[in-house]
Amino acid sequence: MSDVLKNSDQLSREFVHNYLQKFMPLSVTEVEGLMQYCEFRKFGKKEIIVQEGETDNYLNMVVQGLVRKFIRVKKNEVILQLATEGHVIHSEISFLTRSPSLVVLDTLEPTILASINYENMEAALKEHPQGEKLGRLILTRMYIKKDERRYIELSRTVRERFIDYVTHHPHMLQRVPQKYLATYLNIKPETFSRLKHLVRVKK
Amino acid sequence: MFEELYSFLNRYTPVSSADFDTLMKKMEMRTYKKKEQLIHTGETEQHLYFVVKGLTRKYFKKGKQEIITHIVKEGGIISSAASFFSQTPSRYIVETIEPTTLLALSKQSLEELLATGNKWEKILRLMTTQFFLVQEYRLLDNIRYTARERFVKFMEQNPDLLLRVPQKYLASYLNIKPETFSRMKHLMAGVKNRKNL
Repeated sequence: MSDVLKNSDQLSREFVHNYLQKFMPLSVTEVEGLMQYCEFRKFGKKEIIVQEGETDNYLNMVVQGLVRKFIRVKKNEVILQLATEGHVIHSEISFLTRSPSLVVLDTLEPTILASINYENMEAALKEHPQGEKLGRLILTRMYIKKDERRYIELSRTVRERFIDYVTHHPHMLQRVPQKYLATYLNIKPETFSRLKHLVRVKK
Repeated sequence: MFEELYSFLNRYTPVSSADFDTLMKKMEMRTYKKKEQLIHTGETEQHLYFVVKGLTRKYFKKGKQEIITHIVKEGGIISSAASFFSQTPSRYIVETIEPTTLLALSKQSLEELLATGNKWEKILRLMTTQFFLVQEYRLLDNIRYTARERFVKFMEQNPDLLLRVPQKYLASYLNIKPETFSRMKHLMAGVKNRKNL
């Protein structure tokens, strides 16, 4: 293995380590123990991670890169999530209920995921006393995020959603094609273009 | 009355009767009249409520409009859950639709239970999973189904609620315009007949 790759693995491990520490204090041994169950998966740009109809076997955290989750409705792709570094993404219903995925996951950039498969997650929950709590806290955070996104979508105007998003995720305008951001925010592409002047004024 | 809660918990993981007793000692029975608020916007949620009897809804106000995100009847759990978990001010109002009896578990009591062992962690993890799945199904259903499909699906799964929940609440919950909802009412006859077969 080249030094560059070794380094990137080391960085990935540190990234996951720091991520888990945000939820609860864990000793180095505990983190190392939990990391035994994880694997790092690398994807190129525009690669499919989970296809519609396939059972998603992984819970992933983005170490580097950008993953999108979308659902196909007739001929449209409705984007449900855009996950960057430190975000958790997978086909939740499929993974948790062991059923065919309704959604598709693919990469928008070359991506490294820290992943745990379903069997390993079950094993980690059984064998590691800290697993249950950590699992619960990660899931709770995902729930809160999902609730927040749904609340914003239902309660705010298009203009407010746009401003809220670009204020909190300024880098995404550079990383994600506009048409994707527009569907993610449930804003018509024409409206999205018109709203962009709001960003320039802010600069 | 508590059997419902017992079987509810056992759906997640086997709970011994001793553990169930421990839980019951921590829970507080509360009764509410119709249209009483359990929590208002801006307050921080301190409870998870198990609905023993009655009907509740969770909603927020958008101008003069009420957007209903949850309708929970007997055997379900209602709470401004994101506020409860994050201990930040609630964006939602939780209110009864009918006279309602609830078993309330406070944040404090929950923390005490969690401190006694991993089995409560497991139950709470599985319950949180369930909250999460419900949220995700609702989000996806809203995208992949038409208003008509959402209407029929809901009526098939909850024929009892048709009579118990005011129509304007159902319309909001299913994200269907009131006018459209009225036009769909003829579909209910079909649903009712099928149920009688």
